[in-house]
Amino acid sequence: MKILVELENQEQTTADGLILALKDFSVQSKTTYTKEEISKIINQNPDKEIFISLNKNIFNSEIEALKETLLYLDTLNIKGIFFYDLAVLQLKKELNLKVDLVWNQTYMVNNYKTCNYYYQKGVKYALLSKEITLAEIIEIVKRSSITPMVEVVSFPSVAFSKRTLITNYYKNLNKQPKKEITVLEKATNQEYEIIEDESGTNFFFKKLTNGTVVIKDLYENKVPYIIMREYGIDSELFKELTNDTKEYIKGNCEDTNYLLKYQKLLGDNTNFFFKKTIYQVR
Amino acid sequence: MDKIELLSPAGDLERLKVTLLYGADAVYIGGEKYSLRANATNFTLDDIKEATTFAHKLNKKVYLTLNIVFHNEDMTGVEEYIKDVVESGIDAFIVSDPFIISHIKTNYPKVEVHLSTQNSTSNYKTIEYFKNEGIDRVVLAREVNLEDMKEMIEKTGVDLEIFIHGAMCTCFSGRCALSNYVTNRDANRGGCAQVCRFAFKTSEEDFTMATKDLNLARYIGKIIDTGIKSLKVEGRMRSLYYLATVIGTYREIIDNYYANTLTEEKMQVLESRLSRVANREVSTQYLTKEADYTDQYYSGRQELSNQDYLGLITGYDYENNCLILVERNYFAPGDSIEIFTPSGEIYPYTVTEIYDENLNELEVARHPEQILKLKFSKPLPAYSMIRLIKKAQISKE
Repeated sequence: MKILVELENQEQTTADGLILALKDFSVQSKTTYTKEEISKIINQNPDKEIFISLNKNIFNSEIEALKETLLYLDTLNIKGIFFYDLAVLQLKKELNLKVDLVWNQTYMVNNYKTCNYYYQKGVKYALLSKEITLAEIIEIVKRSSITPMVEVVSFPSVAFSKRTLITNYYKNLNKQPKKEITVLEKATNQEYEIIEDESGTNFFFKKLTNGTVVIKDLYENKVPYIIMREYGIDSELFKELTNDTKEYIKGNCEDTNYLLKYQKLLGDNTNFFFKKTIYQVR
Repeated sequence: MDKIELLSPAGDLERLKVTLLYGADAVYIGGEKYSLRANATNFTLDDIKEATTFAHKLNKKVYLTLNIVFHNEDMTGVEEYIKDVVESGIDAFIVSDPFIISHIKTNYPKVEVHLSTQNSTSNYKTIEYFKNEGIDRVVLAREVNLEDMKEMIEKTGVDLEIFIHGAMCTCFSGRCALSNYVTNRDANRGGCAQVCRFAFKTSEEDFTMATKDLNLARYIGKIIDTGIKSLKVEGRMRSLYYLATVIGTYREIIDNYYANTLTEEKMQVLESRLSRVANREVSTQYLTKEADYTDQYYSGRQELSNQDYLGLITGYDYENNCLILVERNYFAPGDSIEIFTPSGEIYPYTVTEIYDENLNELEVARHPEQILKLKFSKPLPAYSMIRLIKKAQISKE
């Protein structure tokens, strides 16, 4: 099992691979990189698997730039491209790109049949939704041919809007706009971080998902990749977590001290791993 | 030239019949499973059969939404369900999951599949992808502007459908799990709790992001000229009166546009009619510009109640020359009202006497659901309705 990380404040990691969000073409990531920066990072990390996040909703006016970008990325030594918009899959076919794709439609990657559909369409990987249970994840792993990835540690991204919601809010208050605010949902007393960028407004759940407790199950079920995102986590702690998780996996996930340590340091929120959502409220 | 399709929502059989009678060319409904309004009444298989039989007799169509984001467990039984629905005579499925699209196109090639707005399709390359998958129509993301729609049609030739009226999501459809996190209700399986209409606390004033509703009545001509195939109204949970008014009004706008009779004066009357049933402010959102500061609310509660709907005509008392109606809201002698029919006739009327079902005269109509009678010279078709135009002046003596 390999660890992919999305970093915020550091350039070095012991993880097996990096996720780099491409500037102007990615959303729901705090830090983005230009094509030139990506190329440099690839050269500096020849032993790492590099994945590019290109997960924004694409509009007509961006298609030509998207083509150029995909052709450029195809020349780099990257392992795969995370995509949301099916324009990317269409262009992979049209341009005969050799780079592999990661189906990354955030809240939609929820079942094995659709994973198999994308696999048959030439998509090698799928980042499974953060909003499904561990049991559902394991069923997908067992019943689909796609290479699954599971996000285990992050402050989850929970929504994305094309609107400039923070700018609008401050305009209404007649105040200088900021680009980030923290809001509190009153009934649950839970905070959300809202960040606006050129593409729109991103929402993050300000409660860390600690999925270290499911790593053993994922390992035993042969999940090939887990993902950890640094955003919102202290840099030193994240570095330590990455190192320790690597060792934990190396030891066949037998070290219970690892679990105790990170339950203490990261909290006990396991997000939807053990909690099913409901949809009929009669 | 084929007229553009006017596509209405319907939450149950009665609303489906009413909206077709009021001028919809097609209706989209939710079944008991796999629809994004899990808490609506929704249609049983028998209902779907009755709906398609009713619609087909009028040479109209019925589409079924099958647009949840499927989990493993939802896949159990879905293929049998699709088969049953096809046998019920459905004209098209509205789907977001490409596996389901592929399944339907492979097994039932004569049944249309429309790509749901849940997929947030916003460019022509994505449309090309789905064209290759056999999709018959794409319901565009609400974030797409008119110029882009035109380019998509020119470049792909695929039939496009757009929303023209009703509530909006703040985020991209399908790209929001706020409901999952705040209420544990799954937004993409029909449980959306509309968290984007909540007010959030900050260190300053409350943060809100709720959008105004969409109303593209003024742009129908331009949209028709673009080559869009279908105009969709939002709201499977809306009332009979709302649907009758909104669908009836858009029917008039479309027909008048094609007949070259849509004068400014007429447009103002029709817009005013739409505004009487609106429970929020409206805007054109992304159609001609990026949605901005003016397209949303900055306070916690936005809905207004509407009490214009006074009654539903259910029959005629030939002996006493009275319309029989079921009361919906308070009205009184002296009120100016309009009685309107599914085929578009409007009868201005000033209330003089109000009778109960035994012909006892009442001072006012104050009990919703009460059977009432109003003097009228002739019977009117089923599902004719009464709306308030102006309340009587109350004497200060």
